[in-house]
Amino acid sequence: MNSIGEECTELKKKYDDCFNSWFSERFLKGDHDDSMCAGIFKVYQECVKKAMKQQSIDFKEVDKDVLGTDNEFKVPPSESSS
Amino acid sequence: MKIWTSEHTFNHPWETVAQAAWRKYPNPMNPAVVGIDVVDRKVVDGILHTHRLVSSKWFFPRWAQALIGTAKICYASEKSEVNPNEREMTLKTSNLTFCRYIAVDETVKYTPHPSDPAKTLLTQEAVVTVQGVPLSSYMEDLLTNKISLNAGKGRQAIEWVIGKLDSEIKELANTACKSTDELLSQTKKSLDDITITARRSMDDISTKAKRSLDDIEKFRKSNANQRS
Repeated sequence: MNSIGEECTELKKKYDDCFNSWFSERFLKGDHDDSMCAGIFKVYQECVKKAMKQQSIDFKEVDKDVLGTDNEFKVPPSESSS
Repeated sequence: MKIWTSEHTFNHPWETVAQAAWRKYPNPMNPAVVGIDVVDRKVVDGILHTHRLVSSKWFFPRWAQALIGTAKICYASEKSEVNPNEREMTLKTSNLTFCRYIAVDETVKYTPHPSDPAKTLLTQEAVVTVQGVPLSSYMEDLLTNKISLNAGKGRQAIEWVIGKLDSEIKELANTACKSTDELLSQTKKSLDDITITARRSMDDISTKAKRSLDDIEKFRKSNANQRS
């Protein structure tokens, strides 16, 4: 699966491999320490945040909770760009 | 506003389904998903919280294209929690306002089946709201049907991923593969090969489905003409 930013796909694949191993071999077996993939995650994240800016994806929209709050029942606000 | 719910049982334990859920894309049943990224992830009190951004390509039937455009990359925000002690995994997805007229909020939950803990129960709920365009309720029906169709594909996708993982693991055990790296890259290679072949069949199915939607539109138009 590709990243939203083409340039981040390699980093994403490396991170996903690490995460899948950690999830199966550690997290599901009771080890909640998530430092195993912290290094590659940081680099991957920096790339993603940059790609999101380039594609004008609104961080506030992404972070806002809608389900389970009052906003779930409101019409989404119209945005300036499309 | 239209609400759609569904339940399904996988004949696999919850841990297997949870692992398959993270490996769900790419798969031949969901060719519309073109990109996924993790934008936040942390373990808090033993629960894994993840926030992902999913981009997918939406193709609209021709009559809607004048309003919305031909194909569009739409972004959705997916927030999930995995609780390994309770064996519960919940994913909530809502699309962002880039797809202006359409609000889709979906909740997907994987838990051990109440009658058989060796199986997994999947419950899904989607709320579709279309506003500001003519024939809103028609579009809501269309989208709800699409969600229902995709849900079937989604379930097939999970089964498909589990099947591939199972057979890859057996094959590799036979050839006595030692390192984790080799295991992962072998799995990936076979998954890629299978995806290419299956994608060709999926394209064929998409083309046929598009033709059906066009036919529905022609029928609707001719009905409207008769009435006026």
